[in-house]
Amino acid sequence: MKEPRIGVFVCWCGTNIASVIDVEKVAEEIGTLPNVVISKTYKYMCSDPGQEIIMKEIKENNLNRVVVAACSPRIHELTFRKVLENSGINGYLFEMANIREQVSWVHKDKEEATKKAKALIVGAINKVSFHESLEKRFVDINPATLVIGGGIAGISAALQLADAGQKVFIVEKNENIGGHVANIDLMFPYLFSAKQLIEPKIQKVKNHENIELFLNTQIDEVSGYVGNFESFINNGNGTKKELKFGNIVLATGLKTYDPSGIPEYKYNELPDVITSYEFEKMLINGKIQTKTGKKPKNIVIIHCVGSRDEDIHTYCSRTCCMTALKYANQVRSALPKSNIFEAYSDMRAFGKGCEEFYTRSSKKNIMFLMFDQKDGKPEIREANKNDDCSMIVEMNEKLSGEQIEIPADMVILMTAMEAQNDVKDIGHAVGVSICGSSFFIEKHPKLDPIATTTDGVFVVGSCQAPKDIPDSITQAEAASARILSSISKGRVQVEVTTAEVNEEICCGCQTCIKVCPYTAISFDEEKNVSVVNEVLCKGCGTCGSACPTGAIKCRHFTDVQILSQIEGLLSKSLSTSTMEEK
Amino acid sequence: MSFKPKIISFLCNWCSYTGADLAGTSRMKYSSNIRIIRIMCSGRVEPTFVMKAFREGADGVLICGCHPGDCHYHEGNYKCLRRFKLLQKYLQQMGINKDRLRLEWISASEGKQFAQLADEMSAKISELGPCKVKKVMETS
Repeated sequence: MKEPRIGVFVCWCGTNIASVIDVEKVAEEIGTLPNVVISKTYKYMCSDPGQEIIMKEIKENNLNRVVVAACSPRIHELTFRKVLENSGINGYLFEMANIREQVSWVHKDKEEATKKAKALIVGAINKVSFHESLEKRFVDINPATLVIGGGIAGISAALQLADAGQKVFIVEKNENIGGHVANIDLMFPYLFSAKQLIEPKIQKVKNHENIELFLNTQIDEVSGYVGNFESFINNGNGTKKELKFGNIVLATGLKTYDPSGIPEYKYNELPDVITSYEFEKMLINGKIQTKTGKKPKNIVIIHCVGSRDEDIHTYCSRTCCMTALKYANQVRSALPKSNIFEAYSDMRAFGKGCEEFYTRSSKKNIMFLMFDQKDGKPEIREANKNDDCSMIVEMNEKLSGEQIEIPADMVILMTAMEAQNDVKDIGHAVGVSICGSSFFIEKHPKLDPIATTTDGVFVVGSCQAPKDIPDSITQAEAASARILSSISKGRVQVEVTTAEVNEEICCGCQTCIKVCPYTAISFDEEKNVSVVNEVLCKGCGTCGSACPTGAIKCRHFTDVQILSQIEGLLSKSLSTSTMEEK
Repeated sequence: MSFKPKIISFLCNWCSYTGADLAGTSRMKYSSNIRIIRIMCSGRVEPTFVMKAFREGADGVLICGCHPGDCHYHEGNYKCLRRFKLLQKYLQQMGINKDRLRLEWISASEGKQFAQLADEMSAKISELGPCKVKKVMETS
């Protein structure tokens, strides 16, 4: 091994790191360590000037290894690997010390934080000293894409890909495609017909030469890796079909919250308390009427049913406020003399044209009443016989501070969007995790909201978080663009941090074969040793920890790398590793 | 000076490390004596790593992986659990209190749980006092 010449670059991240950690002191002390040739700080290491500093130092000081102490490697590891590659060094001769998420953002005591930052950097220096160059490996990409879910997001993604000449499989568990948009009458804020939007798209999907549509069908476990996935789909009759594809678009959408869990609203008890979903059906059928067939005189629309509620879903469902205004507008046109009440907890009119829609709506003789979601949910009860309405909605109006009673003949509950029941199964099948609210987790909430932690799997529409139609389409088409760019490259990079067997040490016990979750290890009877199939290996390292002789090396997380990192993290005085390569 | 324990923590890349990052992005404050090592899967944690940590002067070791059924590599966390159970027995034979080694499941959304766990672990190890293995090994 060449003598390590390590460059350490400590980032201020503006004040994010520098206000808690004494970065100058850290850089100075780290600079005294053996093998550390240069130790510097900069305001934003990830910025162009920051990257240029690293490149310049690599060239001038002939560095062969780099440590950047900054944010989480989950954010910028790839950025800095690129910097190394652009400077002619293998990108894997790099390590990050996470001194933002793990230090400056979580610790208050400046002295302790500075001490910990130093320890993390020494750990990184120790580890990087044993890093090895790893060569990127590529495999050909299968240009077909699997789209799971045939709602507006899935359809939009599929059409983009198919129009670009690529094969698409759509798997939809219901008997129709079109999803929730197919069950909407008009769309906010411009009150266009949803049918006119979705129907031509549905027809186009059905007749597209590049799209194969599977209805009433679900997917089984997906195997393989980016560029080369395969799975069986089954239609419930026991017929299975094997599909092969290179990328996956998850577009499984949402379901609506069942409000019978909120006692104040008496859903399922009072016949004319209905959900927004049920009211939408009425609008499509062109008849707004109570269960007894009468035109309602007083209509109350209650917002945030199941959303922004600490006991149910803490998130905002994003579309219900505007949908509620849309209802008020549609009722005003259909029943000009009716009394319309919007009981809201906060009016959220974000998005293009929405605030204007709210302003327009507020001039249409609609009564807006505010309630407190936490302690003051409106309570619905049956009216007395001699009242002029069938129900009474009692609420504490927040702005006036008065306890009021609203007459009602129909109450519409603006129910929350929530994740589908089968998200966990689907997440398992494709290797994507779900968040605390059961939506799929994107790779990065700000910088990479479409990709997932599994390469080649993209998440679009409301299965990632509640979304309106334009946002779903935007995300779907962005995912298609990502997929098309990988298809146009023709090949895709696969995992390089795989396991490797040292045939001289392997005793042929085959323990590794038993523990491998990917059947990536086979046994060479002739040589009496285990052999790793590097295309199947995903680099989890389980075989490495099970190997009794130490014959298996888990690249980039080798024993010596981790053991020397441990030494670094625990070293009292600043000193580097005593470890030696096996 | 009061005893400040040193704790080494192995976090799997997909769930637990992301969970710890979330604690950071949410600016949750927790005890500063936890030092984190990123590994791809809790299944990668070799008993040697844990022993090395104690040998180098750690007072506690915390391993975190994905919740059962959520492992990015299907079942690495189960393998880790089995090794953990055996390792606890072995530690006791070495004269190390088994509570110095802990295995917990932290998902990518459990930043708050990670911060609480770090504080809890730190309090527990402070109560147990310094781990004497390093000293014993140096003098023998």
